[in-house]
Amino acid sequence: MPNLNEQQLLAAWMEGELDDQQRQAFEQRCAQDEEFAQQVQMVNSTLLKAQDYQAAEVPNWDRASTFEQGEQTKWWQWSGFPALSTALSIFAVVLVFSGFEAQVENGQLTVSFNKNRSSDVQMIVDQRLAEFQQNQQLAMNAYAQSLREQQLDASTQLTNYLLASSRQERKEDFGELIKFINEQRSEDQIFYARQLNQLQQEIFDSANAQPWSGEASLPVTNE
Amino acid sequence: MFEKSDEHLIQKALSGNKRAWLNLIKRYEAQIYNYGIRMTGNNHDALDLMQEVFISVFRNLANYRGDGSFRGWLFKIAHYRCIEFYRRKKPHQGLEDSPEIESTEPSLEQVLAKSQHNHQLVEAMQRLPMSQKAVVELKFFGQFTFDEIAEQLGISSNTAKSQLYSALAKLKTFMEVEYA
Repeated sequence: MPNLNEQQLLAAWMEGELDDQQRQAFEQRCAQDEEFAQQVQMVNSTLLKAQDYQAAEVPNWDRASTFEQGEQTKWWQWSGFPALSTALSIFAVVLVFSGFEAQVENGQLTVSFNKNRSSDVQMIVDQRLAEFQQNQQLAMNAYAQSLREQQLDASTQLTNYLLASSRQERKEDFGELIKFINEQRSEDQIFYARQLNQLQQEIFDSANAQPWSGEASLPVTNE
Repeated sequence: MFEKSDEHLIQKALSGNKRAWLNLIKRYEAQIYNYGIRMTGNNHDALDLMQEVFISVFRNLANYRGDGSFRGWLFKIAHYRCIEFYRRKKPHQGLEDSPEIESTEPSLEQVLAKSQHNHQLVEAMQRLPMSQKAVVELKFFGQFTFDEIAEQLGISSNTAKSQLYSALAKLKTFMEVEYA
Protein backbone atom coordinates (compact mmCIF):
# COMPACT_ATOMS: atom_id res chain seq x y z
CA MET A 1 0.00 0.00 0.00
CA PRO A 2 1.35 3.48 -0.77
CA ASN A 3 2.00 5.92 2.01
CA LEU A 4 -1.07 8.01 2.71
CA ASN A 5 -1.17 11.64 3.63
CA GLU A 6 -2.97 12.81 6.76
CA GLN A 7 -6.34 13.28 5.12
CA GLN A 8 -6.27 9.92 3.39
CA LEU A 9 -4.99 8.19 6.53
CA LEU A 10 -7.78 9.67 8.62
CA ALA A 11 -10.36 8.81 5.98
CA ALA A 12 -9.10 5.22 5.74
CA TRP A 13 -9.24 4.94 9.53
CA MET A 14 -12.81 6.24 9.55
CA GLU A 15 -13.78 3.73 6.88
CA GLY A 16 -11.99 0.90 8.69
CA GLU A 17 -9.77 0.19 5.71
CA LEU A 18 -6.33 0.41 7.36
CA ASP A 19 -3.99 -2.51 6.84
CA ASP A 20 -1.34 -3.39 9.43
CA GLN A 21 1.30 -1.10 7.97
CA GLN A 22 -1.11 1.81 7.71
CA ARG A 23 -2.38 1.15 11.23
CA GLN A 24 1.15 1.43 12.52
CA ALA A 25 1.64 4.66 10.58
CA PHE A 26 -1.67 5.92 11.94
CA GLU A 27 -0.79 5.17 15.54
CA GLN A 28 2.68 6.60 15.11
CA ARG A 29 1.28 9.81 13.69
CA CYS A 30 -1.25 10.06 16.48
CA ALA A 31 1.59 9.82 18.98
CA GLN A 32 3.89 12.25 17.21
CA ASP A 33 1.59 14.74 15.54
CA GLU A 34 -0.59 16.56 18.05
CA GLU A 35 -2.67 18.24 15.38
CA PHE A 36 -3.44 14.90 13.75
CA ALA A 37 -4.28 13.44 17.15
CA GLN A 38 -6.72 16.28 17.77
CA GLN A 39 -8.35 15.59 14.42
CA VAL A 40 -8.81 11.94 15.39
CA GLN A 41 -10.20 13.01 18.73
CA MET A 42 -12.55 15.40 16.95
CA VAL A 43 -13.77 12.59 14.72
CA ASN A 44 -14.47 10.42 17.76
CA SER A 45 -16.20 13.26 19.54
CA THR A 46 -18.33 14.11 16.51
CA LEU A 47 -19.24 10.47 16.00
CA LEU A 48 -20.40 10.23 19.58
CA LYS A 49 -22.41 13.42 19.27
CA ALA A 50 -23.95 12.19 16.04
CA GLN A 51 -24.88 8.89 17.72
CA ASP A 52 -26.37 10.73 20.67
CA TYR A 53 -28.20 13.11 18.42
CA GLN A 54 -31.85 13.17 19.35
CA ALA A 55 -33.73 13.35 16.12
CA ALA A 56 -36.53 15.86 16.06
CA GLU A 57 -39.99 14.50 15.52
CA VAL A 58 -41.47 15.27 12.17
CA PRO A 59 -44.41 17.62 12.51
CA ASN A 60 -47.62 16.72 10.81
CA TRP A 61 -47.47 17.82 7.20
CA ASP A 62 -49.39 17.30 4.01
CA ARG A 63 -47.67 14.19 2.71
CA ALA A 64 -50.34 13.60 0.09
CA SER A 65 -49.50 16.90 -1.61
CA THR A 66 -46.29 15.33 -2.90
CA PHE A 67 -48.42 12.82 -4.79
CA GLU A 68 -50.01 15.51 -6.91
CA GLN A 69 -48.26 14.36 -10.05
CA GLY A 70 -49.15 10.79 -9.35
CA GLU A 71 -52.78 10.91 -10.32
CA GLN A 72 -54.01 8.32 -12.73
CA THR A 73 -52.97 9.30 -16.19
CA LYS A 74 -55.74 10.31 -18.51
CA TRP A 75 -56.54 8.11 -21.47
CA TRP A 76 -54.99 10.60 -23.87
CA GLN A 77 -51.76 10.44 -21.87
CA TRP A 78 -51.52 6.66 -22.36
CA SER A 79 -47.88 5.80 -22.87
CA GLY A 80 -48.70 3.33 -25.63
CA PHE A 81 -49.91 5.98 -28.03
CA PRO A 82 -46.52 6.69 -29.61
CA ALA A 83 -45.91 2.99 -30.24
CA LEU A 84 -49.43 2.55 -31.57
CA SER A 85 -49.01 5.55 -33.82
CA THR A 86 -45.76 4.19 -35.22
CA ALA A 87 -47.28 0.75 -35.79
CA LEU A 88 -50.27 2.22 -37.63
CA SER A 89 -47.98 4.36 -39.78
CA ILE A 90 -45.93 1.29 -40.75
CA PHE A 91 -49.16 -0.61 -41.49
CA ALA A 92 -50.37 2.22 -43.71
CA VAL A 93 -47.07 2.28 -45.60
CA VAL A 94 -47.25 -1.49 -46.09
CA LEU A 95 -50.78 -1.16 -47.44
CA VAL A 96 -49.70 1.48 -49.92
CA PHE A 97 -46.70 -0.45 -51.21
CA SER A 98 -48.55 -3.76 -51.35
CA GLY A 99 -51.26 -2.33 -53.57
CA PHE A 100 -53.99 -3.02 -51.06
CA GLU A 101 -57.44 -2.31 -52.36
CA ALA A 102 -60.81 -2.77 -50.74
CA GLN A 103 -64.09 -2.60 -52.58
CA VAL A 104 -67.63 -2.88 -51.33
CA GLU A 105 -70.15 -4.05 -53.86
CA ASN A 106 -73.62 -5.31 -53.07
CA GLY A 107 -72.76 -5.72 -49.42
CA GLN A 108 -69.62 -7.72 -50.21
CA LEU A 109 -66.21 -6.52 -49.19
CA THR A 110 -63.47 -7.42 -51.62
CA VAL A 111 -59.89 -7.03 -50.52
CA SER A 112 -57.10 -7.39 -53.04
CA PHE A 113 -53.33 -7.04 -53.01
CA ASN A 114 -50.74 -6.58 -55.72
CA LYS A 115 -53.30 -5.56 -58.29
CA ASN A 116 -51.67 -4.45 -61.50
CA ARG A 117 -52.39 -0.81 -61.09
CA SER A 118 -49.87 0.52 -63.55
CA SER A 119 -51.88 -0.45 -66.64
CA ASP A 120 -55.00 1.06 -65.09
CA VAL A 121 -53.18 4.21 -64.35
CA GLN A 122 -51.75 4.28 -67.88
CA MET A 123 -55.19 3.76 -69.35
CA ILE A 124 -56.66 6.53 -67.23
CA VAL A 125 -53.81 8.81 -68.15
CA ASP A 126 -54.27 8.07 -71.87
CA GLN A 127 -57.99 8.66 -71.59
CA ARG A 128 -57.46 11.92 -69.81
CA LEU A 129 -54.89 12.96 -72.39
CA ALA A 130 -57.28 12.18 -75.26
CA GLU A 131 -60.03 14.14 -73.57
CA PHE A 132 -57.68 16.98 -73.01
CA GLN A 133 -56.53 16.91 -76.62
CA GLN A 134 -60.12 16.90 -77.86
CA ASN A 135 -61.04 19.78 -75.64
CA GLN A 136 -58.02 21.68 -76.79
CA GLN A 137 -58.93 21.07 -80.44
CA LEU A 138 -62.47 22.30 -79.90
CA ALA A 139 -61.23 25.33 -78.09
CA MET A 140 -58.76 26.04 -80.88
CA ASN A 141 -61.48 25.76 -83.54
CA ALA A 142 -63.76 28.03 -81.59
CA TYR A 143 -60.97 30.49 -81.18
CA ALA A 144 -60.11 30.45 -84.91
CA GLN A 145 -63.78 30.88 -85.81
CA SER A 146 -64.09 33.77 -83.45
CA LEU A 147 -60.95 35.34 -84.83
CA ARG A 148 -62.19 34.95 -88.38
CA GLU A 149 -65.51 36.56 -87.54
CA GLN A 150 -63.76 39.40 -85.86
CA GLN A 151 -61.60 39.96 -88.92
CA LEU A 152 -64.64 39.85 -91.20
CA ASP A 153 -66.47 42.36 -89.10
CA ALA A 154 -63.46 44.61 -89.04
CA SER A 155 -63.10 44.41 -92.84
CA THR A 156 -66.80 45.16 -93.39
CA GLN A 157 -66.67 48.09 -91.05
CA LEU A 158 -63.55 49.41 -92.77
CA THR A 159 -65.12 49.06 -96.24
CA ASN A 160 -68.30 50.78 -95.15
CA TYR A 161 -66.30 53.53 -93.62
CA LEU A 162 -64.21 54.02 -96.76
CA LEU A 163 -67.27 54.04 -99.01
CA ALA A 164 -69.13 56.42 -96.80
CA SER A 165 -66.23 58.76 -96.46
CA SER A 166 -65.48 58.82 -100.21
CA ARG A 167 -69.15 59.39 -100.98
CA GLN A 168 -69.25 62.26 -98.58
CA GLU A 169 -66.11 63.73 -100.05
CA ARG A 170 -67.48 63.47 -103.59
CA LYS A 171 -70.72 65.04 -102.48
CA GLU A 172 -68.82 67.89 -100.90
CA ASP A 173 -66.62 68.27 -103.99
CA PHE A 174 -69.63 68.43 -106.31
CA GLY A 175 -71.25 70.93 -104.00
CA GLU A 176 -68.16 73.07 -104.13
CA LEU A 177 -68.04 72.77 -107.95
CA ILE A 178 -71.67 73.72 -108.37
CA LYS A 179 -71.20 76.57 -106.01
CA PHE A 180 -68.16 77.74 -107.98
CA ILE A 181 -69.99 77.45 -111.31
CA ASN A 182 -72.95 79.32 -109.90
CA GLU A 183 -70.68 82.05 -108.68
CA GLN A 184 -68.99 82.21 -112.09
CA ARG A 185 -72.29 82.38 -113.83
CA SER A 186 -73.46 85.04 -111.45
CA GLU A 187 -70.35 87.09 -112.11
CA ASP A 188 -70.72 86.52 -115.85
CA GLN A 189 -74.31 87.69 -115.72
CA ILE A 190 -73.25 90.80 -113.86
CA PHE A 191 -70.46 91.35 -116.38
CA TYR A 192 -72.79 90.93 -119.35
CA ALA A 193 -75.40 93.12 -117.74
CA ARG A 194 -72.84 95.80 -117.25
CA GLN A 195 -71.61 95.42 -120.82
CA LEU A 196 -75.13 95.67 -122.07
CA ASN A 197 -75.80 98.71 -119.93
CA GLN A 198 -72.64 100.30 -121.12
CA LEU A 199 -73.50 99.48 -124.71
CA GLN A 200 -76.93 100.81 -124.25
CA GLN A 201 -75.50 103.99 -122.83
CA GLU A 202 -73.08 104.45 -125.67
CA ILE A 203 -75.77 103.81 -128.18
CA PHE A 204 -77.92 106.27 -126.50
CA ASP A 205 -75.16 108.82 -126.29
CA SER A 206 -74.18 108.48 -129.93
CA ALA A 207 -77.76 108.69 -131.05
CA ASN A 208 -78.15 111.96 -129.28
CA ALA A 209 -74.92 113.39 -130.69
CA GLN A 210 -75.15 112.44 -134.41
CA PRO A 211 -78.48 111.05 -135.13
CA TRP A 212 -78.28 108.79 -138.14
CA SER A 213 -75.19 110.68 -139.65
CA GLY A 214 -73.32 107.91 -140.94
CA GLU A 215 -72.18 104.69 -139.54
CA ALA A 216 -71.81 104.82 -135.94
CA SER A 217 -68.69 103.37 -134.72
CA LEU A 218 -69.38 101.47 -131.65
CA PRO A 219 -66.68 101.72 -129.07
CA VAL A 220 -65.32 98.41 -128.20
CA THR A 221 -63.85 98.04 -124.81
CA ASN A 222 -62.89 95.12 -122.82
CA GLU A 223 -64.59 96.28 -119.75
CA MET B 1 -44.41 -8.98 9.41
CA PHE B 2 -42.03 -8.58 6.54
CA GLU B 3 -41.28 -5.02 5.59
CA LYS B 4 -41.72 -4.23 1.94
CA SER B 5 -38.55 -3.22 0.14
CA ASP B 6 -37.99 0.29 -1.16
CA GLU B 7 -38.02 -1.00 -4.72
CA HIS B 8 -41.37 -2.69 -4.18
CA LEU B 9 -42.88 0.50 -2.79
CA ILE B 10 -41.37 2.53 -5.64
CA GLN B 11 -42.89 0.25 -8.26
CA LYS B 12 -46.28 0.47 -6.60
CA ALA B 13 -46.01 4.26 -6.27
CA LEU B 14 -45.10 4.51 -9.93
CA SER B 15 -48.19 2.54 -10.85
CA GLY B 16 -50.29 5.06 -8.95
CA ASN B 17 -50.51 3.48 -5.54
CA LYS B 18 -50.72 6.42 -3.16
CA ARG B 19 -50.47 4.32 -0.02
CA ALA B 20 -47.15 2.86 -1.15
CA TRP B 21 -45.80 6.34 -1.74
CA LEU B 22 -46.94 7.51 1.69
CA ASN B 23 -45.27 4.46 3.26
CA LEU B 24 -42.07 5.34 1.47
CA ILE B 25 -42.29 8.91 2.76
CA LYS B 26 -42.87 7.76 6.32
CA ARG B 27 -39.83 5.52 6.07
CA TYR B 28 -37.49 8.40 5.23
CA GLU B 29 -39.17 11.62 6.33
CA ALA B 30 -37.49 11.72 9.75
CA GLN B 31 -34.04 11.37 8.19
CA ILE B 32 -34.75 14.06 5.61
CA TYR B 33 -36.38 16.36 8.14
CA ASN B 34 -33.44 16.14 10.54
CA TYR B 35 -31.06 16.48 7.60
CA GLY B 36 -32.92 19.68 6.79
CA ILE B 37 -32.64 20.96 10.36
CA ARG B 38 -28.90 20.37 10.42
CA MET B 39 -28.37 21.85 6.97
CA THR B 40 -30.60 24.89 7.33
CA GLY B 41 -30.47 25.34 11.11
CA ASN B 42 -34.17 26.04 11.12
CA ASN B 43 -37.09 23.66 11.58
CA HIS B 44 -39.43 25.73 9.38
CA ASP B 45 -36.94 25.73 6.54
CA ALA B 46 -36.35 22.05 7.18
CA LEU B 47 -40.05 21.37 6.73
CA ASP B 48 -40.16 23.33 3.48
CA LEU B 49 -37.02 21.61 2.28
CA MET B 50 -38.43 18.18 3.13
CA GLN B 51 -41.57 18.89 1.12
CA GLU B 52 -39.53 20.07 -1.86
CA VAL B 53 -37.32 17.00 -1.62
CA PHE B 54 -40.20 14.54 -1.66
CA ILE B 55 -41.96 16.37 -4.50
CA SER B 56 -38.74 16.25 -6.48
CA VAL B 57 -38.20 12.59 -5.60
CA PHE B 58 -41.68 11.69 -6.75
CA ARG B 59 -41.31 13.56 -10.03
CA ASN B 60 -38.03 11.79 -10.71
CA LEU B 61 -39.05 8.43 -9.33
CA ALA B 62 -39.34 6.91 -12.80
CA ASN B 63 -35.68 7.82 -13.40
CA TYR B 64 -34.49 5.82 -10.40
CA ARG B 65 -32.80 2.83 -11.99
CA GLY B 66 -31.92 1.01 -8.81
CA ASP B 67 -28.17 1.21 -9.48
CA GLY B 68 -27.43 2.23 -5.91
CA SER B 69 -29.45 2.34 -2.74
CA PHE B 70 -32.64 4.36 -2.77
CA ARG B 71 -31.45 6.12 0.37
CA GLY B 72 -28.31 7.33 -1.38
CA TRP B 73 -30.35 8.53 -4.36
CA LEU B 74 -32.76 10.24 -1.99
CA PHE B 75 -29.99 12.11 -0.22
CA LYS B 76 -28.46 13.10 -3.54
CA ILE B 77 -31.73 14.79 -4.50
CA ALA B 78 -31.95 16.25 -1.00
CA HIS B 79 -28.51 17.78 -1.48
CA TYR B 80 -29.48 19.37 -4.80
CA ARG B 81 -32.69 20.75 -3.33
CA CYS B 82 -30.74 21.97 -0.31
CA ILE B 83 -28.29 23.85 -2.54
CA GLU B 84 -31.18 25.45 -4.41
CA PHE B 85 -32.77 26.35 -1.11
CA TYR B 86 -29.48 27.80 0.11
CA ARG B 87 -29.05 29.86 -3.06
CA ARG B 88 -32.55 31.24 -2.78
CA LYS B 89 -31.93 32.19 0.83
CA LYS B 90 -28.44 33.54 0.31
CA PRO B 91 -28.04 34.35 -3.38
CA HIS B 92 -24.78 36.26 -2.91
CA GLN B 93 -22.99 33.62 -0.88
CA GLY B 94 -20.96 30.83 -2.50
CA LEU B 95 -20.99 27.22 -1.39
CA GLU B 96 -17.37 27.46 -0.30
CA ASP B 97 -17.88 30.70 1.63
CA SER B 98 -18.19 30.70 5.38
CA PRO B 99 -21.66 31.88 6.31
CA GLU B 100 -22.19 35.10 8.18
CA ILE B 101 -22.83 34.55 11.85
CA GLU B 102 -26.46 35.19 12.57
CA SER B 103 -28.28 35.31 15.83
CA THR B 104 -29.77 31.97 16.72
CA GLU B 105 -33.39 31.82 15.81
CA PRO B 106 -35.80 30.83 18.55
CA SER B 107 -37.09 27.97 16.46
CA LEU B 108 -33.67 26.34 16.38
CA GLU B 109 -33.28 26.68 20.12
CA GLN B 110 -36.71 25.26 20.58
CA VAL B 111 -35.87 22.25 18.47
CA LEU B 112 -32.44 21.68 19.93
CA ALA B 113 -33.13 22.55 23.51
CA LYS B 114 -33.70 18.96 24.48
CA SER B 115 -30.07 18.05 23.84
CA GLN B 116 -27.02 20.10 24.64
CA HIS B 117 -25.03 17.84 22.34
CA ASN B 118 -27.43 18.49 19.54
CA HIS B 119 -27.22 22.18 20.08
CA GLN B 120 -23.44 22.29 20.30
CA LEU B 121 -22.72 20.29 17.17
CA VAL B 122 -25.49 21.68 15.00
CA GLU B 123 -24.66 25.22 16.03
CA ALA B 124 -21.05 24.68 15.04
CA MET B 125 -22.11 23.10 11.74
CA GLN B 126 -24.07 26.21 10.83
CA ARG B 127 -20.81 28.15 10.74
CA LEU B 128 -19.25 25.83 8.15
CA PRO B 129 -19.36 26.55 4.43
CA MET B 130 -22.15 24.71 2.66
CA SER B 131 -19.85 22.22 0.92
CA GLN B 132 -18.07 21.21 4.15
CA LYS B 133 -21.31 21.07 6.09
CA ALA B 134 -22.73 18.65 3.55
CA VAL B 135 -19.75 16.32 3.90
CA VAL B 136 -19.96 16.38 7.72
CA GLU B 137 -23.68 15.73 7.57
CA LEU B 138 -23.43 12.81 5.18
CA LYS B 139 -20.42 11.28 6.91
CA PHE B 140 -21.40 11.50 10.56
CA PHE B 141 -25.18 11.53 10.40
CA GLY B 142 -25.80 9.80 7.09
CA GLN B 143 -23.12 7.15 7.69
CA PHE B 144 -22.18 7.18 4.01
CA THR B 145 -18.76 6.15 2.71
CA PHE B 146 -16.52 8.72 1.09
CA ASP B 147 -17.22 7.22 -2.34
CA GLU B 148 -20.96 7.52 -1.77
CA ILE B 149 -20.56 11.08 -0.53
CA ALA B 150 -18.46 11.95 -3.56
CA GLU B 151 -21.10 10.47 -5.87
CA GLN B 152 -23.93 12.32 -4.12
CA LEU B 153 -22.19 15.67 -4.08
CA GLY B 154 -20.68 15.34 -7.53
CA ILE B 155 -17.10 15.70 -6.32
CA SER B 156 -14.09 13.40 -6.12
CA SER B 157 -13.50 11.15 -3.16
CA ASN B 158 -10.26 12.97 -2.33
CA THR B 159 -12.08 16.30 -2.34
CA ALA B 160 -14.63 14.90 0.07
CA LYS B 161 -11.85 13.71 2.38
CA SER B 162 -10.10 17.05 2.16
CA GLN B 163 -13.29 18.94 2.93
CA LEU B 164 -14.00 16.75 5.94
CA TYR B 165 -10.49 17.28 7.24
CA SER B 166 -10.87 21.06 6.96
CA ALA B 167 -14.34 20.93 8.46
CA LEU B 168 -13.12 18.99 11.50
CA ALA B 169 -10.48 21.60 12.26
CA LYS B 170 -13.07 24.37 12.02
CA LEU B 171 -15.62 22.48 14.11
CA LYS B 172 -13.03 21.99 16.83
CA THR B 173 -12.29 25.70 16.88
CA PHE B 174 -15.96 26.72 16.89
CA MET B 175 -16.88 24.33 19.68
CA GLU B 176 -13.88 25.29 21.79
CA VAL B 177 -14.67 28.99 21.42
CA GLU B 178 -18.33 28.61 22.14
CA TYR B 179 -18.06 26.27 25.10
CA ALA B 180 -14.73 27.21 26.56
